Amino acid sequence: MDLALQLLFTGIGIGAVYALVALGFVLIFRATNVVNFAQGEFSMVAAYLMVVAVEAGLPYWAAFIVALLGMALLGVVFNLGVYYPLRHRTYLPVIIATIGASILLANSVLAIYGPQPQVLEGWFETPGIQVGPVYLDSQYLLIICVTICLVIFNFWFFEKTLLGKKLQATSQDKEMASLLGISVSTMIMITFIYSAVLGGLAGILVAPVLFVSIQMGSTIALKAFAATIIGGFGDVAGAIIGGLALGVIETFGAAYVSVPYKDGFAFLVLIAFLIFRPQGIFGERVAEKA
Amino acid sequence: MRLTRRDFAAGIAAGIAAPYLIKSAHAQGATIKIGMCAPVTGPAAESGGYAIKGAKLALEAVNKAGGILGKQGELIVEDDQTTNPGIVLAFSKLASQPDIVGFLGSIRSTQVHAMAPDVIKLGKPVMIGGTDPNLTHMGNQWLFRCRPNDSYSGRVIAEYGVTTLAKKKWAVLHSTDAFGTAGGKALTAALEKLGAPPVLDQGYANQSQDFTPVVLAIKQSGADILGSYFTFENDLGIFARQLRQLGVNIPWVGSPSIVNITALKLAGPALYNTYGVADYAEDSSEGSKAFGKIYRDAVKVAPDNQSSWTFDAINVMAQAINKAGTTEPAKIREAILAIKKFPGAEGEYNFDQNGDGLHGYNIVKNEKGNITFDKHIEFND
Repeated sequence: MDLALQLLFTGIGIGAVYALVALGFVLIFRATNVVNFAQGEFSMVAAYLMVVAVEAGLPYWAAFIVALLGMALLGVVFNLGVYYPLRHRTYLPVIIATIGASILLANSVLAIYGPQPQVLEGWFETPGIQVGPVYLDSQYLLIICVTICLVIFNFWFFEKTLLGKKLQATSQDKEMASLLGISVSTMIMITFIYSAVLGGLAGILVAPVLFVSIQMGSTIALKAFAATIIGGFGDVAGAIIGGLALGVIETFGAAYVSVPYKDGFAFLVLIAFLIFRPQGIFGERVAEKA
Repeated sequence: MRLTRRDFAAGIAAGIAAPYLIKSAHAQGATIKIGMCAPVTGPAAESGGYAIKGAKLALEAVNKAGGILGKQGELIVEDDQTTNPGIVLAFSKLASQPDIVGFLGSIRSTQVHAMAPDVIKLGKPVMIGGTDPNLTHMGNQWLFRCRPNDSYSGRVIAEYGVTTLAKKKWAVLHSTDAFGTAGGKALTAALEKLGAPPVLDQGYANQSQDFTPVVLAIKQSGADILGSYFTFENDLGIFARQLRQLGVNIPWVGSPSIVNITALKLAGPALYNTYGVADYAEDSSEGSKAFGKIYRDAVKVAPDNQSSWTFDAINVMAQAINKAGTTEPAKIREAILAIKKFPGAEGEYNFDQNGDGLHGYNIVKNEKGNITFDKHIEFND
């Protein structure tokens, strides 16, 4: 039982990271109908921005704000440079452009900062607390809390605010939204900014656990993408549930079945969903959306 | 003047042959080129940078001392991207340059396995740092190892843990790639010989983001000592931190990656008081000390095996070519295999007929981040 509780905590912690990145995937997919394969690189860039800001002598909280502002700016640049020029084309050129952008981002950071993995200290001085038989890593606790807050925020924002409803209207039918006087391009810009900030938040939160490296984004993004499909592509709640489920499944699979095939469990679940429930837990059919 | 058919044919022949003759003459008069596959990008890019620096420092010294066959040595580096397809591509690019006389391969066994078939086809000497014992025992006569192989590291880890630390309940943790699997097998075999078969033999996949299940398995196994073979420093850093956080404080004797610079930086205090088998230990010999000084002066960071093996590889190859008096591959091969008592940064080189240059390991300890030399264990079999 003690073992299961420890695994559950760790699984939810790592799953929450997948969920945050998956949320970015979903928001952009809903707004533009394309998958942004650079979402993982947003996490990596934000983690490096945080390292640079901390090294520059800024207090941790200020570095955090600077890194997130940097991500908001990256969201603007990404929208104008990658999505906007191709917005009237089919989804395929846009997806290819996002793959190209992810390679560009990774190599730009490599060229500017070098290949050295970096250590980013966590928000708290205490690495964790022992609660009975379970060790609670303070960084994972923070990640879980942030994810819960974001779930509440997203619900409030999309369901209770005018801007959130405009964003939803844009994602459901751009033409109709435009006829209703909503500036579609502004809504898409806001979506890119929010997704970049979300991806960045995930990167900053997980960096003290996984270290800061050029590869960190792609590793997380692959699992987050799987989580998005499991949860239901296009569904915010699905991304959260999918991410958490994936984290828990792979952690328990590794502990009780096989450690070397840990990644395999995540993708086995993904394949099972694609075969038996392609629309995911909450979402619509991928084929219909594509 | 009348152009005869013979004049025309001679002119055509001269026209075709001229570029090759000029190129050949140029090649003969230019530098002696050594190719190097190194991770410039990918997860091992940082250690790849150290490897390149080690090779360049050696070549500078060789050139200052008169060069290779009286010419200056030149290093041609290709990025292996830290992947198997990457090193195959990098090696094929280098192999297509006929004036490259020898090569430096990878420190990663899995990459050396990937490039090995092309090495046989090319038939030129390739110095390697991969420590899977099979690499020099699978009939590839062109691979020459500048690090001790894992049949030695496994025996040294087992010997030190069982005899010196007096621990018998072992957990063996290893990557599931070629290096980790071979290392894990070597350690398990050595422990069985010493009458202490492991209570846990646990593999893990590279680039894991979480080691909680592994740490809990170690905890549950009741092991009183841990032996490990980690391929990537990121994995080692994450594991070390989680191991300590989850309250596992048993002695830990690891393969050389446990004492390399990147791992020490990432894991920090989580690696304090651990032991490592290290092919490079600064205080283990005069050659090691000399390399340490050159490297620190030039690179401003502490040396480790990432740079020491490439430093030695260049020196061994330069010495072999100079002894052979030619760049003919078969003659260089004979000259490498004839090298005995050569003082390198990693220790004394005595090449056997399989192409293994080193036959022992150092035991070192991490004392608050400083790596201190304990002893060297050499094997004669």
